[in-house]
Amino acid sequence: MSSKGFFISRYAQLGWEFKETQLRQAIRTNILNNSGKNLEQRLEATGIQLERIPFLEKGYWVYSSKVSVGATAEYLLGLYSIQEAAAQIPATLFTALRGKIVLDSCAAPGGKTVQLANFMNNNGAIIALDVKRKRLSALSNHLERCHVSNTVVYLLDARHASQLRLKFDRILIDAPCSGNFVTDSNWFKRRTMDDVERNAILQREILTHAASCLSDDGEIVYSTCSMEPEENELNMDWAIRNLGLKIEEINCYGQKGLTNVFGVQLDSSIEKCRRIWPGETQGFFVAKLGKKTVRL
Amino acid sequence: MKQIIAFSAKFGGKLVLNTEFIAEKNGRYFFLNKTLRRFVQEDFYYAGIYLGKAKNGKFFPSFNLLSLIAKSRANKVVIDRKASWLFICGRDIFRKGIVAVQGLRGKNDYTLVMNEHGECLGFGKIVCSLDSAGKDTDIAVRNISDVGDFLRRES
Repeated sequence: MSSKGFFISRYAQLGWEFKETQLRQAIRTNILNNSGKNLEQRLEATGIQLERIPFLEKGYWVYSSKVSVGATAEYLLGLYSIQEAAAQIPATLFTALRGKIVLDSCAAPGGKTVQLANFMNNNGAIIALDVKRKRLSALSNHLERCHVSNTVVYLLDARHASQLRLKFDRILIDAPCSGNFVTDSNWFKRRTMDDVERNAILQREILTHAASCLSDDGEIVYSTCSMEPEENELNMDWAIRNLGLKIEEINCYGQKGLTNVFGVQLDSSIEKCRRIWPGETQGFFVAKLGKKTVRL
Repeated sequence: MKQIIAFSAKFGGKLVLNTEFIAEKNGRYFFLNKTLRRFVQEDFYYAGIYLGKAKNGKFFPSFNLLSLIAKSRANKVVIDRKASWLFICGRDIFRKGIVAVQGLRGKNDYTLVMNEHGECLGFGKIVCSLDSAGKDTDIAVRNISDVGDFLRRES
C-alpha cells in the first residue's frame, strides 16, 4: 500500500472519508493597531475582497485578491496578520487573558503570539519561546509590525521552559507536529509513521514541562495541525493519566475528539477536545487542559 | 539612550522615556513596562517595544519608535494614497504627493512620513524647502526608511 493509501485508510477507520482540500487564505485583524480604521473598506480599495469567517470574531477569508495580501500598506502597518482560519482558534479558547502571565511555548512565527497580545490588550506578559534562532527573527518582526508590547522572547526549547523559574496562568502549546496534506502538497510522500511517533514523543515531553510550569488554576491550550491521533487524542489521554491534568470544555468549530482510536478506548473526557478534519479549513486539533483538583 | 533622544530631536519631537525601563541587548534597545521588566532575564532575545539598534555609531530606529515620536509635535509630512504606496516601495516623495506639512519644512530637515490615516510610514529628509516654489514632479523628501522594510528583511 502506498503511503497515501496507508494514511487515507487510517482516516477512514477514524470515520473521515478523504477528500482533496484547497487551502483558503485567511487573515485576522489586529485590534492593537486597528481600532476604527475600516480595514475591510481599505482592503477593498486595494482590490482585496474579504468574507467573514463565521466561527471567528476577527477572522476573514480572502475571497479574491488582485494583489498579494502580504504586501499591502495595511499589512506592513500591522493592521492584520495572515493566519489560516483553524490556526486562529487555539488562542480564542483561553478564559480571561487580560493581565495574565502567559507562556507561548512554540511561538514562531508569532501569529498566535500577536493574537494573544490582542486578547490581553498588551497587558500582562507573554513569554514567547522558540528553539530555532532563525525563526526568532520572523517572530520579532511580527511583534514589531503588529505593535505588540507585552512580550519577552527567548531562544529556548519548550522542554526547558522550567529554566525560567516562572509559573504561568496560561500556556499555549502549538506543538511541532507532522502537519497535514492541505498545507503541504508532498505530505503523503514525505511522512511516515516514524515521523508521527517521533513527534508524539516530543509533544509529550513539551506537555510534561508545561504542566510543571502551570499555576494551580491555570489553563493549557494544546493544538496541532496534524490529523494523526497519536499526536492528538492519544497524547491527551496520556496527559490525563500521567500529568495530573484534565480536559476542559471548549466551544469552538470542529467535531468532538475521538474516544475510540483503532479499537483503543480512551478516557471519555477526550470528546471535549475538537478535531477539525480538512474542509472549510486545514486539518487541526485543539484541546484545553487544567489541573485536576486535589481533594484533601 | 542618548542616541534615541538625539534621533527623536531630529524631528523636533520631545520623547520622554524612563531610562529605568530601557533594556539593551547587543546594541538593540527595548522599552519595557513595569510588569514586563520582572520577566526580562539576561539572555532575552526581544522584549516590550523595540526602539532600534545602534551599529558603528549610527542609530537605526524601529517603526515603533517612529510611531512614538509621531505622537509628539514632530515634523511630519502627510502624503496621499499613491505617494504612500510609492514611499513604502522605497521611492522618494514628489512635491505633488504631499497633502499637509507639520513642523519644520526646510531643506535638510528630517521629517516623519504619514499617510492620510495618520499612520507613520517611515521617515525621510527634506531635499528642497517645502515653502519654495517648484515643479510637482520635483523630489521633496528623500526616503530614508519605510515600513516596506518588513518585507525586505524577510527576503
